[in-house]
Amino acid sequence: MAEQTFFHSIKVDDAKCIGCVACMKACPTKAIRLRNHKARINYERCIDCGECLRVCPHNAIMPLTTLLSDLDRFKYKIALPSPVLYTQLGQEVMPNEILTILKEIGFDHVYDEALVCEMMSIATEEYLDEHKSPRPIISSICPVVIRLVQRLFPSLCENILPLEPPREIAAKNLRLEVSKEKNIKTADIGIIHITPCSAKMVSINHPESMAKSNLDGAISIREIYNKVMMKLKQEAGLLMMQTQTRISGIGIGWAFEGGEIRGLKYTNTVSVSGLLDTIRILEDVESGRLKNIEYLECLICPDGCIGGPLTVENRFVAKSNVLRLLRHFGGKKRVNTNLVTKLYKENFFSFKWAVEPKSFPPLDADRSMAIKKLKMKEELTGKLPGTDCGVCGAPDCKTLAEDIVRGEARLEDCIYIQRKKLHDTQNNGEN
Amino acid sequence: MKTKKRGMKNRVLLQQEFKIQGGDFVNAGESSCKIRNTLREIGIDSDIIRRIAIAAYEAEMNVVMYAHHGTMKINVYRDKILLTINDKGPGIENIVLAMKPGFSTATEEMREMGFGAGMGLPNMKKNADTFKISSEVGKGTRLEIKILLNGKNG
Repeated sequence: MAEQTFFHSIKVDDAKCIGCVACMKACPTKAIRLRNHKARINYERCIDCGECLRVCPHNAIMPLTTLLSDLDRFKYKIALPSPVLYTQLGQEVMPNEILTILKEIGFDHVYDEALVCEMMSIATEEYLDEHKSPRPIISSICPVVIRLVQRLFPSLCENILPLEPPREIAAKNLRLEVSKEKNIKTADIGIIHITPCSAKMVSINHPESMAKSNLDGAISIREIYNKVMMKLKQEAGLLMMQTQTRISGIGIGWAFEGGEIRGLKYTNTVSVSGLLDTIRILEDVESGRLKNIEYLECLICPDGCIGGPLTVENRFVAKSNVLRLLRHFGGKKRVNTNLVTKLYKENFFSFKWAVEPKSFPPLDADRSMAIKKLKMKEELTGKLPGTDCGVCGAPDCKTLAEDIVRGEARLEDCIYIQRKKLHDTQNNGEN
Repeated sequence: MKTKKRGMKNRVLLQQEFKIQGGDFVNAGESSCKIRNTLREIGIDSDIIRRIAIAAYEAEMNVVMYAHHGTMKINVYRDKILLTINDKGPGIENIVLAMKPGFSTATEEMREMGFGAGMGLPNMKKNADTFKISSEVGKGTRLEIKILLNGKNG
């Protein structure tokens, strides 16, 4: 039922799950419960942030990203790597070399997404120039942020920048160009994003702003990492002479927090990364505190996409690598501003439709019942020990109380309550 | 029959009260955050929650910035939500002037912290269906913010 409303990009591997509390405790939307010693994801509440995937000590949370073996169904395969990939393979390897290697591990064509990131900075400025309210405008690149807004801050849906993210725009353009140039049917072309997180699968399989995504899948950086490293070792030195693509220094900056706002002429902007800080700042936006801010860049992963759960390099080294690349490529504009303005006016970048609010379900569909349940929940919370041990299968006492009023758990699930009952009956027996 | 109906209408379905400490900028905004979460749980429409969140936040900040202490009370009725803020503090000398957008008595420090743009009261009024304010200089201020719930979407 829930899967119909939301596609999800993570799944529990029951064979590996031992039923510890790690993922349940880490989940920011309290979507995980333990039932019969296995983690169960409530897909109605999951926002695909990947926190569970990060913390699981047993590798029991699986990302549902595209596999290299899935590529065979396409006649012509195009790789569209996130700029994060350029930060993952050490200090010496340059973007051009990485693009060349992708061609050697099975792709027919590669394209630098960073170039489109640079274009989107211009398009974003156009949008901000044209629309003076609401404020702040919230970036649309992170699929988890979109879902978080829909679920927890539904009234802020109208603040989301209604322009597709670079990966979608790049794919849209590539399909048109490549099919014309190479005379291939558009359906035979597979455009695959190379991604630092599983959440991109959500926006590919269940886009919120159009009927069908322009991408055909997303392969994780982890999935291709070993192959790319092997090739790099084999062919060191030979690579520089090949693929000479235009690389955008401005666009590469989108790999980490601040990338979007650094490219804007507006300076009254804020960038935030990390799940808790994103929730905090969205609370401030909802209170009307940040109306003076023009643009708010929000990225769910710590430090932005370089902190994605499916990256390999630790994010501090990755950040150092991206700063080195920025110095190398500089802030030189590679994109024709007039062309971007023209495309913007033709709505080439625009959402097909606005992102719709999808609030979490209230305690009950009927208001007076919901209020009754809220009071019951508060009463129950008072009865529970407040130690948040997780043994009952809910992440904390307050959530157990909520599960009870929703009819999904019993007070006796609490081990403290059980013990007290046992103690009471024993005492009664003795009397 | 009629009187019975009216009785239902005026019955408080849910009431919550929060204490606000003047000068406590660290915890400022907590009460309005709690109110927002409560309203979500009972299924109030997101646009209405946003209006209440803005009004509650502005009211809470006013108590923190200007008063000694105060309370914020939220009453949910079948057809409306009533937010009442009472504070003990200096009161407002000239309410007409205070309601003017841009007028503020905030100190330089408060402005440096990003407060005191003179939009607090006008913002509350803008988001309310009815807005009542009364104040006594040297004693305190009372605000009543009413937001109507319409039909099942409310």
